[in-house]
Amino acid sequence: MIPVSMPSPTVATSGARRRDVLRAGLALPLLSGLLSACDSDIDAEQRPNPGAKSSTAGGTAPPDPDFHLLRRSSFGVHALSLKALRDIGASTYLERQLDYRSLDDTAVEAAILSRFPLASSAPAVLAAGFPSNSASIVSQLRDATLFRACYSKRQLYEVMVEFWSDHFNIQINKGVIPVFKPYDDYAVIRANALGNFRTLLKASARSPAMLYYLDNYVNLSTAPQENYARELMELHTLGVDGGYSEADVKDVARCLTGWTVDRSINAFKFAPAVHDYGAKMVLGSSIAAGGGIADGEIVLDMLASHPSTARHIATKLCRRFIADDPPAGAVQAVAQTFLGSGGDIRSCLRVLFSSSEFAQAGDAKYARPTQFVGQLVRALNPSLTLPPPGDTFLQSLVSLLGQLPFNWLEPDGYPDRAAYWATTSGLIARWRIATYAVTSGQFDLSELAAATTPNRLVEVAAARILQRPLSGQDRDLILDWLYLQSNLTPDQYFEFTRAPWLVALVASLLISSSSFQYR
Amino acid sequence: MGTTIKATSSTGIRQKDVLVCVFQRGGADGLSTVVPHGDPNYYLKRLRTAVPRPGNVGGVIDIDGFYGLHPAMKKLLPAFNAGRLAFVHATGLPHSSRSHFSGQAFVEAGVTSTAAINGGWLGRHLASTATSSDSPLRAISVGASVSAALQGGAGPLAMDGIAGFGLGSLQQTPYADTLSALYQGDPRYAGLSEVAFSAMDELKLANPSRYPVSNGAVYPDSSLGTRMAQAAKLIKANAGVDVICIDSEGWDLHINLPAYMPSLLSDLSSALSAFDVDLGARMNDVTVLVMTEFGRRVADNSSSGVDHGTAACLYALGGGVRGGRVYGTWPGLLATTMANGEDLAITTDLREILVQCAARRLGDSTAAALFPGFQPAIAPDLFAQR
Repeated sequence: MIPVSMPSPTVATSGARRRDVLRAGLALPLLSGLLSACDSDIDAEQRPNPGAKSSTAGGTAPPDPDFHLLRRSSFGVHALSLKALRDIGASTYLERQLDYRSLDDTAVEAAILSRFPLASSAPAVLAAGFPSNSASIVSQLRDATLFRACYSKRQLYEVMVEFWSDHFNIQINKGVIPVFKPYDDYAVIRANALGNFRTLLKASARSPAMLYYLDNYVNLSTAPQENYARELMELHTLGVDGGYSEADVKDVARCLTGWTVDRSINAFKFAPAVHDYGAKMVLGSSIAAGGGIADGEIVLDMLASHPSTARHIATKLCRRFIADDPPAGAVQAVAQTFLGSGGDIRSCLRVLFSSSEFAQAGDAKYARPTQFVGQLVRALNPSLTLPPPGDTFLQSLVSLLGQLPFNWLEPDGYPDRAAYWATTSGLIARWRIATYAVTSGQFDLSELAAATTPNRLVEVAAARILQRPLSGQDRDLILDWLYLQSNLTPDQYFEFTRAPWLVALVASLLISSSSFQYR
Repeated sequence: MGTTIKATSSTGIRQKDVLVCVFQRGGADGLSTVVPHGDPNYYLKRLRTAVPRPGNVGGVIDIDGFYGLHPAMKKLLPAFNAGRLAFVHATGLPHSSRSHFSGQAFVEAGVTSTAAINGGWLGRHLASTATSSDSPLRAISVGASVSAALQGGAGPLAMDGIAGFGLGSLQQTPYADTLSALYQGDPRYAGLSEVAFSAMDELKLANPSRYPVSNGAVYPDSSLGTRMAQAAKLIKANAGVDVICIDSEGWDLHINLPAYMPSLLSDLSSALSAFDVDLGARMNDVTVLVMTEFGRRVADNSSSGVDHGTAACLYALGGGVRGGRVYGTWPGLLATTMANGEDLAITTDLREILVQCAARRLGDSTAAALFPGFQPAIAPDLFAQR
């Protein structure tokens, strides 16, 4: 097993032992340059045992309310945003985030438009170049999504875009879906992410990408195709225990016969010739014969305002923002707001974020990969300087961690529970990425390297990376490690610019630590 | 920490099989796999998607005059003919859900309702057969996440590739010790981190990567092929692995089944066959089960696909399988013999098979109690007692 306590510092005063450790480090390619630059310098310094260190009992204290709100409502705490939130207050901050169009994001949007033009291109334009442009469309849409998640000022909006992209999941690599998923992204998800659920649901039902993904484009009166009808009720609205039967699945499918895609104009069309004009019975209500496209509209209206839908959406919102097993009181309050407001998403979020259940849920969620990568970027790149064009950092990281946007195969979207993400493989991948990220040259660590004592290094690194107080216990563990590597006592003068590998690995430890995995 | 070769006697002989559990996600159609070509109703119900009768172009490979394999499964014929591969047709769990997600949850838990879910069936098996010296590599999902079937057993691992499951040159250094210590006070993830560190160290010691693919086996260049190849290395390394779970994706064929099924079955068959060839004589200590959440509706739909149904077809591969035949009572495809008048009726409860597998191959002396509320009755005589 792993040693519970740190090896005694006196063991490490042997130069041979320490060089072995360094040599082990050398085998990590990205560290090699850093190590060779500083090895001999520190070797000369023999330091006394670091005796007097304060030790705080217990782990990390719960996050303060501002930090908690910011982290949950964004892809990662960013120092300037935290300062702004503290200055204007939580409720004003939240209102500004909800009124996302008032937040100026022109620089990020301009960069996205010039770098990833296919991400916002119309289906007709993309169809003209399909399928040779397929890989480019997919890659650009993923890049644009991750770029906005990390760099946009409209953080809560981007979190909700991800939420609805999961809720109305569409795996992009299937048939002609690359032609239509960008449209789904801007005209369905982004247009309604902080709008009205009924509008969003109806837009999704007509979205060609969804019609292809769940096969409704071939839902014909002669033999209805149930795939979309089933997931519409199970996943998009009522929930699996929402009170529908197999007969309802069949009749909802019949109501939606003829909802298809016109490839000549690359848009939704209702095809009367293949619609089932017979009478239907859905959730105990009869739908008269002869209805045409109105059958589907009636079903969508019925589902959008159904109490089971309110409970289902409220549960998922509370799972996203409060806890994996959301407290019943908050779910109830959000569901009531959903029903009372006719599905107004912003009203639901106001109730959710002001609930006592939310306030008590600090550190209760495990960051999903996109959040982990967002926290990495937003902590280590405090000026939010955009990466150079062609940079593949974001996509390669989320791909390694298994959350590439629009890549979840099944219609339920990426899971929102720690049980799925907090795995051995996932944790080890994060630990590897932490070391990679701080040695890749991607981030400027000079602020950390400017420290001139181990204490100061750990303090500055924790402030930058965790943006919350480091527990005394964790600080001591890292100081012990620094002593073991360099024989530097906590308050001993040392210019860390001479040992960039120590700086990098302190940052890597903090990124790897459990507090960085929370959201 | 020494290598722990579990389930192995002092003479080095394993006392129980390694179980490899392949899950076909999406609901695999059994009627297109082990085709009941001798039932004329199959051709009356499958108007657009039937696999042609034996002897026709693209026809079924007949195996017993009634059933035949889809032609894309021809790579499995050697194992079938050698008596290491069997199928159980019309098997499943009796419940009314047609949801993928409920269906998968039920099969992985071995229950028939959400309220009854209490960990995974393999998690319960592992817990009941635990010993004090169990390897940290005992239960592995080869993939990004831990299979729900393993929940409840101690420390199931997700291992998405052997090569990435470690800290490289930082492993077993003071850096790694410090990282481990940083997790020890964590209220939620201390246990996970401890499992990760002990598994990384055990894996480094066992070093499965050093075992090449044997006997000229060729795995398909697919995610399933890669996962099966990794499973074989883990087994060869004798690192105390008892159960490996692997997913095979993409079986939800609502449209155009004839276009997609051949490549899915070819991938699955090639991967299983390569695994069988690669392990050679070691297959005497390995059982592979292939299962899915549900089968598909008997009649195909107008888009040449099949909607969600009930009974499916299970595969069992290994030295302890009484192979070379198809087990299970054929329920027939008449309106009067189908479930709900439209679905393949379940004639063998999936749990019968799993109980027998656990009892006869996995050394589980309490296998009969593996599924709460389920009393094993009559299982087909599928597994030899080891």
